[in-house]
Amino acid sequence: MSFDLSFAIRIIPQVLEGLGNTILVTVLASFGAALLGFTWEILRRSAKPMRYLMRFVIDFIRSTPVLVQLYFMFFVLPYYGILLPAMFVGIFGLSFYYSGYLAEVFKAGIDAIPRGQYEAAQSLGLSSFDTIVFVITPQMLRNIAAPMGSYFVSILKATPYLAVIAVPEMLGSAFDVASETYRYAEPMLVAGILFLILALTVAQLVQRLEKRLMLSTRR
Amino acid sequence: MNALRAIDPATDKGPATGRPAVEIRHLSKWFGDFQVLKDVNLTVRNGERIVICGPSGSGKSTLIRCINHLEAHQEGEVIVNGTELKAGMKNLPALRRDIGMVFQQFNLFPHLTVLENCTLALVRAKKMSKAEAKEIAMRNLEKVRIPEQAEKYPSQLSGGQQQRVAIARALCMSPKIMLFDEPTSALDPEMIKEVLDVMTALACEGMTMLCVTHEMGFAREVADRIIFMDQGEIVEEAPPQKFFGAPEAGRTRRFLDQILH
Repeated sequence: MSFDLSFAIRIIPQVLEGLGNTILVTVLASFGAALLGFTWEILRRSAKPMRYLMRFVIDFIRSTPVLVQLYFMFFVLPYYGILLPAMFVGIFGLSFYYSGYLAEVFKAGIDAIPRGQYEAAQSLGLSSFDTIVFVITPQMLRNIAAPMGSYFVSILKATPYLAVIAVPEMLGSAFDVASETYRYAEPMLVAGILFLILALTVAQLVQRLEKRLMLSTRR
Repeated sequence: MNALRAIDPATDKGPATGRPAVEIRHLSKWFGDFQVLKDVNLTVRNGERIVICGPSGSGKSTLIRCINHLEAHQEGEVIVNGTELKAGMKNLPALRRDIGMVFQQFNLFPHLTVLENCTLALVRAKKMSKAEAKEIAMRNLEKVRIPEQAEKYPSQLSGGQQQRVAIARALCMSPKIMLFDEPTSALDPEMIKEVLDVMTALACEGMTMLCVTHEMGFAREVADRIIFMDQGEIVEEAPPQKFFGAPEAGRTRRFLDQILH
């Protein structure tokens, strides 16, 4: 069975059927992961029992496979009466898994800010709230733009995991074509190229954002 | 000797009487097991200019950092503008607005322009309008002779310029006391003078100042009192003439021999 270029081109629209969900999940999960990750990190910086709890939670999230987490939410929770829609599990699952990594990104971004910045803010009589909002966060965003962007690309590339909980996305659409026609080379290649284009686009967007942050926050 | 003084005795009001600006009584502080400050006593009157010197690790920076509570002390009292500083006090930000601080590493906010560095606390902490804050900022930037750099970012300025901006930023809050923590130690030699000139001008206006510095020329020109610290203690405390002419302690003499070559 040789590679059939015209077949490959013909199936592009079918594979693209999953594109909408792939983009939707990527965007929402990236947003969710950043929000959760930031929350974990702020809680990890609070008083003692919470700090130890969050250290454990973050390590736990990062040390269990994403598939186990997805299976747990989709197949195990229903036994306890918690029935979640597949799309929700997909978005929340990826948000949850990547939030562990983003918490570490936020940690590095905050740790990189010199102590003198806090001291200067304090000595000017700024409140803790104003210090976080106007002094620390803008500098943190500049520090984390690049690593956070690469996790957004990772989230995009993790969307095919959702096939296991029956969320229709791009690799799933490609797989449907394959199982109907018994041809795997073309659908996989088409899906691979489409993912490549998407990933490069996200990377470009992140790079542009990073440049803009650098311009307005140069050191 | 008096020819060296930048302060004109004819016009200088000198330290005011009445309530002191800073009262430090029996102050002791530890970092872990190490005692950095040992029973330090110091009273600074309004309008007084104090220079603190001493070898590294002598506790001089820690001492002035206790005055705006960047460092918490364990024993003794620190009373600033009539209010005793205590751990966990609620009105600390308000108290700090009356105490300007200039750091060795400038600590300007790198993501804000020079002007925004100066106006941030006026707008956020003093709840001023942007226009009002800008006017005050520009007035203080003119005072440190750098108004033309207002729209630039700190990274675009030289070290000396950055430190002058840091002084202007502190002055914008109209502080009653200014603390300087080795303000010229991170500067290239050719930039030290521009910063010292600004500080001298400030001293001549009658600002209450506590300066940790090894610039002995500056100390001679403006200080009302020079304090020498070693191993967490105040070893010597004297007006410049006596401090340089006839220091009492052997440790002071050895220190001066080493830095006045």
